[in-house]
Amino acid sequence: MVAPSDEKPKGKGAKEDKKGAKGKDEDKEPELSEEDLALKNNLDLTVERLGDADPGVVKLALTTMISEIRSATASMTSVPKPLKFLRPHYDALKSRFESMPAEPAENRAMLADVISILATTKELAREVLKYRLVGSTTDLGIWGHEYIRHLSGEIAEEFRVRREADSAAVVDDLMALVKQIVPYHMTHNAEPEAVDLLLEVESLDLLESHVDEKNFGRTCLYLTSCCAYLPEPDDAAVLRLALRIYTTQARWHDALRVALRLNSRPDVEAVFAACSEPPAKKQLGYLLARHGFAMNLEEGPAAVEDDALRESLLEIISNSKLSEHFLALARDLDVMEAKTPEDVYKTHLTEGRAPAGAAAVDSARANLAATLVNALVNAGFGQDKLVTPASGAEAGGGSENVHWIFKNKDHGKISATASLGLVTLWDVEGGLPQIDKYLYSTDNYVVAGALLAIGVVNSCVQNENDPAFALIADYVSNTDVNVRTGAILGLGLAYAGTGREEVSELLSPLVVDSEAPVEVSAFAALALGLVFNSSAREDVVMSVLQALMSRSDVELSTPYAKLMCLSLGLLFLGKQELAEATVEVAKTLSDRISQFAVVTLDSCAYAGTGNVLKVQGLLALCGEHITTDESTAHKTSHQGAAVLGLALLAMAEPLGSQMAGRVLEHLLQYGDAPARRAVPLAIALLHVSNPDVLVMDTLSRLSHDQDSEVANNAIVGLGLLGAGTNNARLAGLLRGLASYYYKEPTALFLVRLAQGLVHMGKGLLTINPYHTDRQLCSGVALAGVLSVLFSCLDLKATIGGKHHYLLYCLAAAMKPRMLLTLDEEGRPLPVPCRVGTAVDVVAQAGRPKTITGFQTHATPVLLGVGERAELATEEWLPLSPILEGQVILTKNPEYVAMDEGK
Amino acid sequence: MTQTAGKRPAEDMAQVKLNVKWGKETYNDVEANMSQSPLVFKSQLFALTGVPPDRQKVMIKGALLKDDEWGKAVPKDGMTIMLMGSAEAVSVEAPKNIPKFVEDLPESEQEHLETKRFGAGLHNLGNTCYMNSTVQCMFAVQPLREALYAKAPGSGGDPTGRLVAATAELFKDLETGGAPFPPYAFLMALRAKFPQFAQQVSGVYAQQDAEECWTNVMYALREKVKDDAGTAVVDKLFGIPTRLTLKTDESAEEFTEDGMSYTLKVNIEDKTAHVSEGVAVGLREERERNSAELGRTVLFRGATTLTGLPPYLTLQMMRFFFRRDNGQKAKILKKIPFSLEFDAFEFCSEALKKELEAPRAAYKEAQDREIEARKLAKKGPGAAAAPAPAAASSGADVDMKDAGGAGEASTSAPAPSSSGPTKKAMTGKYELVGVVTHKGRTADSGHYVAWVKQPTDGTWVCFDDEKLTVRSQEEVLALSGGGDWHMAYLLLYRAVMADVPVEGAAGAAQEGKGVAEGAAAPAAMEAEGGGASA
Repeated sequence: MVAPSDEKPKGKGAKEDKKGAKGKDEDKEPELSEEDLALKNNLDLTVERLGDADPGVVKLALTTMISEIRSATASMTSVPKPLKFLRPHYDALKSRFESMPAEPAENRAMLADVISILATTKELAREVLKYRLVGSTTDLGIWGHEYIRHLSGEIAEEFRVRREADSAAVVDDLMALVKQIVPYHMTHNAEPEAVDLLLEVESLDLLESHVDEKNFGRTCLYLTSCCAYLPEPDDAAVLRLALRIYTTQARWHDALRVALRLNSRPDVEAVFAACSEPPAKKQLGYLLARHGFAMNLEEGPAAVEDDALRESLLEIISNSKLSEHFLALARDLDVMEAKTPEDVYKTHLTEGRAPAGAAAVDSARANLAATLVNALVNAGFGQDKLVTPASGAEAGGGSENVHWIFKNKDHGKISATASLGLVTLWDVEGGLPQIDKYLYSTDNYVVAGALLAIGVVNSCVQNENDPAFALIADYVSNTDVNVRTGAILGLGLAYAGTGREEVSELLSPLVVDSEAPVEVSAFAALALGLVFNSSAREDVVMSVLQALMSRSDVELSTPYAKLMCLSLGLLFLGKQELAEATVEVAKTLSDRISQFAVVTLDSCAYAGTGNVLKVQGLLALCGEHITTDESTAHKTSHQGAAVLGLALLAMAEPLGSQMAGRVLEHLLQYGDAPARRAVPLAIALLHVSNPDVLVMDTLSRLSHDQDSEVANNAIVGLGLLGAGTNNARLAGLLRGLASYYYKEPTALFLVRLAQGLVHMGKGLLTINPYHTDRQLCSGVALAGVLSVLFSCLDLKATIGGKHHYLLYCLAAAMKPRMLLTLDEEGRPLPVPCRVGTAVDVVAQAGRPKTITGFQTHATPVLLGVGERAELATEEWLPLSPILEGQVILTKNPEYVAMDEGK
Repeated sequence: MTQTAGKRPAEDMAQVKLNVKWGKETYNDVEANMSQSPLVFKSQLFALTGVPPDRQKVMIKGALLKDDEWGKAVPKDGMTIMLMGSAEAVSVEAPKNIPKFVEDLPESEQEHLETKRFGAGLHNLGNTCYMNSTVQCMFAVQPLREALYAKAPGSGGDPTGRLVAATAELFKDLETGGAPFPPYAFLMALRAKFPQFAQQVSGVYAQQDAEECWTNVMYALREKVKDDAGTAVVDKLFGIPTRLTLKTDESAEEFTEDGMSYTLKVNIEDKTAHVSEGVAVGLREERERNSAELGRTVLFRGATTLTGLPPYLTLQMMRFFFRRDNGQKAKILKKIPFSLEFDAFEFCSEALKKELEAPRAAYKEAQDREIEARKLAKKGPGAAAAPAPAAASSGADVDMKDAGGAGEASTSAPAPSSSGPTKKAMTGKYELVGVVTHKGRTADSGHYVAWVKQPTDGTWVCFDDEKLTVRSQEEVLALSGGGDWHMAYLLLYRAVMADVPVEGAAGAAQEGKGVAEGAAAPAAMEAEGGGASA
């Protein structure tokens, strides 16, 4: 309040310097009201009296002065009158202070108080603090909020100055003040200020004792929100503090979210174990399920004694009901009917180019595109019009009645059979019987696809009988390479994030087996990366490193080697400094791959941290202009990973991702081709399933880029950008691209793919790894998305070539973007709720509304990007403060029905 | 979630009760004897589900149950296990006829795959675009193709015969479609028969008039291609029986002249604003003639009327004229809009008009029905099938190939007034099926291109020498001139037929259907012609 108004006269003075600011001040004086004049005279008098030799007179003067200052009320726009009138005497007061005898200390302290508060109206180097320290030790609160804010700022500054000069400098005097200020802030709705101050003076621990049930909410909200802008290790410290506070307050859902954010298994298990109420515990189960966090309920810290409760928790955490819940949403929205690829392409809307119509010959590529589009659009619905109808297969020989799977060529059949898995996603009991028969096929491609399908069906869902492992395990060592890769990737998807020991036992030997084709080895590594993601498991890491060391340069130049590096990255996802040792090892690898491995590891380890040093390091790599020729082309390959890394680091919060967006724009202008090519992918990563209009325009522009690889990646990027949103603008844009690229099979294939992605799950799904109000990043989902993005670095050899089935990795990231309310027994419970744009309420005063522009619906409802829901009824209380996914409701005991009141 | 070895059930538990999940079904309390081999248990499951043991996949905690030993997968009491397999044998063998894919074809074929079904392009052999476009447009006349294939004389013989044979060969090649080819044989035959097309200007073959080419080729075909009755097919398809009636103001004298023309000329005057107006002008005639009554030469005025209608109507835009001042063939660039439908009714003789009334009414009714059906289809998906058969009567029926099918189609969508036999009848309405356009300022230069509506699916395809491009209707309508873009020179229209009930003799219908196989359209034409002359 004071500072800005202090600026004002200054600014004016600067401007009207020559016109004579003084004259204006003089003009003003006669305008003073009588009352003011009296006050001014009175204060002038007290200042005069300070010079008196009699301590008693001085004391009286000071007391008068102080009482005037304290009694004055400040408005938002003006400096309190007493301060205004005392201001001209500032220097006089200071010199008086210097000359004042040390005895009686009381007077000196009081004068210091006055000078300290006067200093708030001046812009001087920490004088508020300076005089505060020599001032009286009475309660600081009496000087008001504004003064404390000033003081806090100067304390922080002083602290920094002292520590810079000497890292062991004594700060006890400051801390004494801090200990006074913090309680004041905490009891006066200024929790963010308290947190800020404590962060500045590196004593966050002091906070905890001042948190109570009234202010913990705002405190923790601020703590968890500011964490994104703090350097390592402060970010973890604030989260740990928030976790402790939430735990003390028994806010289990909040605590669990923080624990998951910390990515610390012991904390998660402790919170889960500490929550004793069954319904609340079930709600925690849903959160774990959404996050893809596997937990052992039978033994260990999170064991559940009660059999019935354990069963139901198992059911929740294993996502067994996900399919059922998703279909409930689909039925409610009336989108059950299967869609065909043509429903997505809408060729009748594309201008000019008439469709080829009933072309005499099928195009394998077009059919493959149709296969994938069909799989994506009907994902999770359990029915489609191409692969699930069995008639074709049973009719067998009929010429026009060839089953769709066989309308795909060679490796296309892998994707076609695997699409069964995506169509029946999450529905293990319904999906497996349909896939089973294809395991008997004599066509190895079909078998490979069926194995992959088994994995896809089971992704994010654990069945107590573990059918995926039982069915797939034997095929891992099949003689056919395709069957092997299909089986391996299937296992990876089925157990993504579970950290299953058996998978490691089965696949680790394949990773290190240098006799096996590099392709098999790489897929095994990727699968392990998915299964053990973010676990930093040493034995797995060693296997992958060993594979990278033992492979020849030729093999390391293939795209498969990059998948191995990604697998390393996935193992250390978000593990920050834990990855350092491995990074050192990676530096010693063959120069074909070592830089790529280092960059991938580093950026995965710091994913979502916004770590500035890492960002700078990556930027330096991207900006390098490396001259290469045919034989040294591998020297630039790490640039693509570095560009993706930029996005990976910055993706956690909006400010960072905006900055990353601008940086990427620079790379487009000045970067070399290898860096430019990854830019569309990086942009897509920053906005997965979040079709921002500006981003869409950027990618749309890039989709016409002269460099076909940039254009191709931009097309895939457009797909990921709008994945599962049904965005009409994007759909129109892609239709335009389809007619633009109708002559170029690869580009057209990718456009089709992007169309499929946009209509994924008929617009009911998301692949954004960030969930629960964008607070948590699901490692499994991120791993799925990264697998696809990293394969796109060699698009022509992977997605555009014969490894299009890598797209099914997205199954690990697919989640319904819904709010489904359940009663305590787990039955869907329709209640009215409001859905609107989320408002950032961090550190906002009062009780601000959390959503704006809302509409009221009955659950289940679809939640868009940046949307938030709240219940529109008092009758029920949600067990999760964030309404997303499945939320259990309990009856509000205080609810009184409206008509009863009448 | 994970089952660890420590939780293994006691070994002595020989008899356990298991719940078996099979797809969506669950069998509770299936007793399994652990002391017997799992095969016995599988047989139990066979009895329950009908899945033969060798197709059973029994999954217990991440392991498959083997036939001979329980192995690691020892179930404990009350456990739920999963069975996979289907009762009836399913074969998912690859189909015997593996589909062929574009990617398997040689590259040359891939390139023209999309346009293969529309035919093939023709290479330009030195200013031969006039010929290429004419041929492509002629090729669009299905009945002509059929007749040619059936009746073309073998190679050899006189130049006319050779030309006709070359035409037939060329059409066959076009029908195969695919990559463009050079029409050498046809060009040689054409130049041999009509030496004017071999005219050279400074050592290069000169550009020629497409209409001239069209007329001359037609002439040759008329000579050689005759149906069983000896009538020239060209006459049946394109011949327009006309009657010129001339009167003079000065006496009551009036005389008529019957003739046959093959094209209708669209004369372009300053005021001409539409093709129909141009046709009217083209049919008007002024002639100085000796009057027997007055005994001197007087001016007779009158107009030609059409006494019969051909299945295919050719309109020629009289865009080129010879300028005396610079001795050049000049071109009128004026915009003359044409429509996709041409109504020849106003140019018909009174007798013919009367005859056309009934079919026109029937046609209108059919169209109304179609609109109605379309409305219905919009309302409910159940009615969606209705417009398709109704559309069948609107035009595509004239094709020889479709005639058989069209016959069935017309029975499937009978006129509501009578369910009796129907026959196709001329309505006087025509739909545009082909355009030969010219681009350029003078007749001796520029470029000819043919635009043809495909009889199979109604797509417009532009044949620009070796290039085939799919075009929209709007683009075709934009060929009306008035700029430097391609502008219509020849317009080929196809008669729109209507189903009319056959009155009286049922035999006529039989006959009609009989010829539908071979030459429905000419037959219909004959009937028309007969009616007109009667």
